[in-house]
Amino acid sequence: MPEGLSGQPLRRREDARFLTGAGRYTADLEAPGALHLHVLRSPHAHARVLGIETGAARTMPGVRLVLTGVDLADAGLGPLPCPAVVRTIGPLVVPDRHALARDRVRHVGEPVACVVAETSAEARDAAEAIEVSYDPLPAAVDGRAALAPGAPQVWMQAPGNQAFRFERGDRAAVEAGFACAAHVVSLDLVNQRVHAAPIEPRAAIGRHDAATDSFDLLLSGQSVHNIREQLAGPVLGVPADRVRLSCPDVGGGFGLKNFLFPEHVLVLHAARLLGRPVRWVADGSEEFQAAVHARDLQGTARLALDAEGRFLALHADMAADLGAYCSAFGPGVPTNSISNAMGTVYAVPAVLLEVRGAFTNTLPVDAYRGAGKPEANYMMERLVDAAARRCGFDPVALRRRNLVTAFPHRSAFGITMDSGGFAEALDAVEALADRAGFAARRAESEARGKLRGLGLACFLETARGAPGEWAAVRFADNGLVDLALGTQSNGQGHETSFAQVAADRLGLPFESFRLVQADTALVARGNGHGGARSLHMGGTALVLAIEAVLGRARRLAAHLLQAAPDDLAFAAGRFAVAGTERGVDLPALARAARDPANLPDGMAPGLDAEADNPSDLITFPSGAHVAEVEVDLDTGEVALVRYQAVDDYGNLVNPLLTEGQVQGGLAQGIGQALMERVVYDPDSGQLLSASPMDYALPRASDVPPLPVRFISVPTASNPLGVKGAGQAGAIAAPPTVMLAVLDALAPLGVSALDMPATPERIWKAIHEASGGGARPPA
Amino acid sequence: MNRFSYVRATDVAQAAREAGAPAAKIIAGGTNLVDLMKYDVERPGRLVDITRLPGLRAIEDAADGGLRIGALVTNTEVAYDRRVEARYPLLSSTILAGATPQLRNSATTGGNLLQRTRCYYFYDVGTPCNKREPGTGCPAIPGVNRIHAVLGASEHCIATHPSDMCVAMAALEAVVRVSGPGGERAIPFAEFHRLPGDAPERDTNLGRGEVVTAVELPARGFPAHYTYLKLRDRHSYAFALVSVAVGMEMDGGRIGEARFALGGVAHKPWRDPEAEAMLRGQAASRDLFERAAERTLRGAKGYGHNTFKIELARRAIVRALEQAAAGTPQSQVDKRIR
Ligand SMILES: Cc1cc2nc3c(=O)[nH]c(=O)nc-3n(C[C@H](O)[C@H](O)[C@H](O)COP(=O)(O)OP(=O)(O)OC[C@H]3O[C@@H](n4cnc5c(N)ncnc54)[C@H](O)[C@@H]3O)c2cc1C
Ligand code: SF4
Repeated sequence: MPEGLSGQPLRRREDARFLTGAGRYTADLEAPGALHLHVLRSPHAHARVLGIETGAARTMPGVRLVLTGVDLADAGLGPLPCPAVVRTIGPLVVPDRHALARDRVRHVGEPVACVVAETSAEARDAAEAIEVSYDPLPAAVDGRAALAPGAPQVWMQAPGNQAFRFERGDRAAVEAGFACAAHVVSLDLVNQRVHAAPIEPRAAIGRHDAATDSFDLLLSGQSVHNIREQLAGPVLGVPADRVRLSCPDVGGGFGLKNFLFPEHVLVLHAARLLGRPVRWVADGSEEFQAAVHARDLQGTARLALDAEGRFLALHADMAADLGAYCSAFGPGVPTNSISNAMGTVYAVPAVLLEVRGAFTNTLPVDAYRGAGKPEANYMMERLVDAAARRCGFDPVALRRRNLVTAFPHRSAFGITMDSGGFAEALDAVEALADRAGFAARRAESEARGKLRGLGLACFLETARGAPGEWAAVRFADNGLVDLALGTQSNGQGHETSFAQVAADRLGLPFESFRLVQADTALVARGNGHGGARSLHMGGTALVLAIEAVLGRARRLAAHLLQAAPDDLAFAAGRFAVAGTERGVDLPALARAARDPANLPDGMAPGLDAEADNPSDLITFPSGAHVAEVEVDLDTGEVALVRYQAVDDYGNLVNPLLTEGQVQGGLAQGIGQALMERVVYDPDSGQLLSASPMDYALPRASDVPPLPVRFISVPTASNPLGVKGAGQAGAIAAPPTVMLAVLDALAPLGVSALDMPATPERIWKAIHEASGGGARPPA
Repeated sequence: MNRFSYVRATDVAQAAREAGAPAAKIIAGGTNLVDLMKYDVERPGRLVDITRLPGLRAIEDAADGGLRIGALVTNTEVAYDRRVEARYPLLSSTILAGATPQLRNSATTGGNLLQRTRCYYFYDVGTPCNKREPGTGCPAIPGVNRIHAVLGASEHCIATHPSDMCVAMAALEAVVRVSGPGGERAIPFAEFHRLPGDAPERDTNLGRGEVVTAVELPARGFPAHYTYLKLRDRHSYAFALVSVAVGMEMDGGRIGEARFALGGVAHKPWRDPEAEAMLRGQAASRDLFERAAERTLRGAKGYGHNTFKIELARRAIVRALEQAAAGTPQSQVDKRIR
């Protein structure tokens, strides 16, 4: 890795813009002449739509258009596709999901009609005047319950509400492992339904140009090319090159903005019908009830160990709630994504994952920071901890005995891990945890009436997201250099980190780079943001594009300096003839390259180059974390009093940004462990946690300082030697925090507890463990 | 969107007159009402803005040694008023335990008294709710009711009153001053909020067209032995699952006057005179506090998800009484519970 800016903890270039309110988000953008779209949503979890009366709404002031599902059908719009490819046993049922419901609504918040008017208020008013007559039906609300006999049916074509059955692994080997095990632990686990809740709600501005019959969608999104792929052909029925998608600044996505949503279709279709731009901005509660939810996996996990504590086999049998429809990657998350990480950092010879996908009358579920990896890691760490506790192993020693230490390692599912510092991380975190001093800390807490617990967990991320990425380097007339990438930043700092990579390799000042992203007109292709992929997938593409630029530059320099290309040395942005003073700077070459007269025979003008990174290699970020909590016995309140991470992300281009990524993920993981849960009324399917007041996201006072120590084991799988850091925190924190809570409660006999560990649940767990008695002994 | 007209009242009489019209609603800080309007829970036809009414913005010393807080004084102004901090620290403490600084800057004393329940179903117009639409039923009783009442509820409604400030005012035995079509009257705090009974649509005993003009605090403020203990799902931006406000006077190790009120457990701040009487004249002890808690909760009833609150309330009462007796009130800055 070249010396220079890479590895420096530079502050983000974008900070000045964001911190001074100069960021520009979709809702901030002007669209002269734009109309406003408002979506009328289902108030029922499940109902037949008997009729929609729009006459009154159409005559209301300012109203330009009212659309229902029938109108979209007449216009020939296709259903939103589900591009997830999953090798299921038998078919994967993908029911048609139309931008507006047709004869039935299947979750609260499902779009039923929309109004386009001159102002947002007029659109809302008119939406109220639409009369929809519903015949309410019983609702299936919980994934596991929906798969049980007698549950209300969400889809005719999915009997028993089963969307798919998935199985991966060697059943015979797993059964053999359990048969000869000295110890078996089995846990019933719930990875609850959560909501990503980015601060910026979804928003979109649609335009249509009648002359060319082409569409333009400005949106708050994470992946313009993938969304276009789903939108253009399948829904609009036009070639992708007639649809342009672009994003201005995006205020967080966490997966949620990776998908095509009904509202995207609606603004474009309305713009086509009306010949004017049409804008839509979600309001807060619309995001809770009508974006996507995440996780929602429950079932049984089992681990077999021999007498010495070596892991023999792992088996998980899970129900995944998909919600009412298959969202874009919905079926892929609880299947493919989980299986990549099954067994996590441990050598487990035999693994079996069985998943049944369930339809319910709830909002669709899809990827959220970590997607599948949090589920696999939570499962594994809960099992390992339970095994240590029940079979009398030291939890750290048990982990150490089973860690993968020799690389490359091929997992039971045939995935090759090239590198990792699993044991180093565990050793380091154990030292930082001061386990020896824990007894004294516990006694000190007890003296104050608190139970103290220490949780230590390892984690493995399998980072990549979609394989393959594209980048280009373009020299502008004004001396600036555009770095165009097919990945996307939603605020994580790509303007800074990619400039660091390029500055070192091109020998040009950091300030000379501009990031070009999130625009299908300016970026040839790409897979956007998701799966902790940007630096290793996009960064590699960028390195390849830079190499191509330097190849062209070298050829031109050799021509201009009348030297052989191989005799030129490149350093600090300058090609020089070895052993002489003669040389030429890269900016001068870029200028010279514009004039064909300067070029050697057969060289096309310009130094610009682009490159595809064809890699589909996964990187394996990992680490070990420790948390300490105090549980107040009287109130069940959990205070997270200490947290420490020791993580491996390979080489760090910018440690400050990496740390920020990890800490942000940890805050979300702490939220999942202690507070967050999407709650539907189990009977009516009404969403009860539909606002930031009712859905408890952690706030500053809930999150302690989160120090991160890096151990860097570079990977050879990409030229930067980097591993994805974006999701790790959200993967590692839930098990770490929950194990600490369980450790605190262990003296009371509590071993079963699901996230979120709210005071209420802790109280119940204590109560149940003590056989319903009164105050447990302090 | 609900259409409404707007009038800015210039004196209390006009405000009362305007507020007396059937679909009219007073708006003060708007932090609760506007939210409810956005969710379509409240659909007023006319908003009567009282924020420019003269004479309702002051905190004044009263002749009897008490304090008179005008209805438009903001929660922030009350919490940081020197006299309130010195003489009624319990009141400051409850206010600072609630909402966020931004909200407290807008929220008014009158509005805080009249804020409405946080019952999920009440907020969701897709569901029935006796409080929102009388006679439609109460889905919280068989439903998700972890934030609901365990004391004084009825078969028609198990909602709680969400205010923190009111819990202190109940313990302080404040008096609510109102002005309306029938002139002025004073309502003792215990009679201001109602239990749901068979008319859960009525949160308070305020009559139509009556405007709250002030809250009067009697001289007794419990400046030395008090606490506000608020248990919630996270440390800010969350309502109480259970809260306890205590005001005590101590004479050596013996308790003199003692009051405590619970928040988050009933349709109004909950006091139990018998339980308070048990404390008076006694030496402070955990055993005594446990018995007082037991007494307070003797009629408590859980509805499933919220059953934990009974035990939680018992423990919270004991802890809060201990904090108050020891003169070590709960900090609202470092919100960790001691
Ligand atoms: C996100 C959030 C979190 C919150 N957290 C807490 C918390 O933790 N603890 C807590 O206690 N509170 C909390 N609150 C509630 C907050 O305290 C109240 O919204 C606020 O006190 C209401 O005051 P206001 O002046 O804004 O009332 P408004 O919203 O203007 O009015 C509320 C009601 O009072 C009526 N009203 C107002 N003034 C008068 C008057 N003088 N006479 C007669 N009627 C009147 C109005 O008609 C209306 O019905 C929270 C609010 C929000 C939005
Ligand atoms: S508890 Fe009261 S407010 Fe809640 S649903 Fe029942 S009636 Fe409505």
